[in-house]
Amino acid sequence: MDSPAANAAFAKQINIKFPLLSDMNKKMLAAYGIVKGHDVQGDTYEWAQRANIVIDKNGIIQHIEEGDSAVNLTNALSVCTDLHKKQAAK
Amino acid sequence: MKRVLAAALLLAALPAPALLSTTAQNEKVAKISLKVGDAAPDFTLLSDQWKPVKLSDFKGKKNVLLAVYVLAFTGG
Repeated sequence: MDSPAANAAFAKQINIKFPLLSDMNKKMLAAYGIVKGHDVQGDTYEWAQRANIVIDKNGIIQHIEEGDSAVNLTNALSVCTDLHKKQAAK
Repeated sequence: MKRVLAAALLLAALPAPALLSTTAQNEKVAKISLKVGDAAPDFTLLSDQWKPVKLSDFKGKKNVLLAVYVLAFTGG
């Protein structure tokens, strides 16, 4: 939910090579059901859960991990590696 | 104002399970509504270069790892 400008600064700072996407209007987050609402002194603030989702070449979800453990990408990356191996074997 | 700031800092300093237990009644935790095997809903999002990126652009070409990383540009 960070802005493209904030993401660009972050990408530059840590020198990453993949696109950082912004969901400022939370459309995608809502479609995937990962918006979380907090009521703070009568107002509701929404932000996303941390989550890792692996989607294969056919657009099918192969892995979902959400919450605090999703900070760690190890599981999602191993699913990606397995997918690559399976697809290469075909 | 200072008191509010101190409370905010305290909340930030609490470990996540403690934070969850103190705010659970005010929190609506959304569970991911999708499951493994479902078709991933298409979306278009703006990249850090202000270019639209569509999930369906990768269909038939690449596997996609979506990492939803909240507050990435902070210590949180």
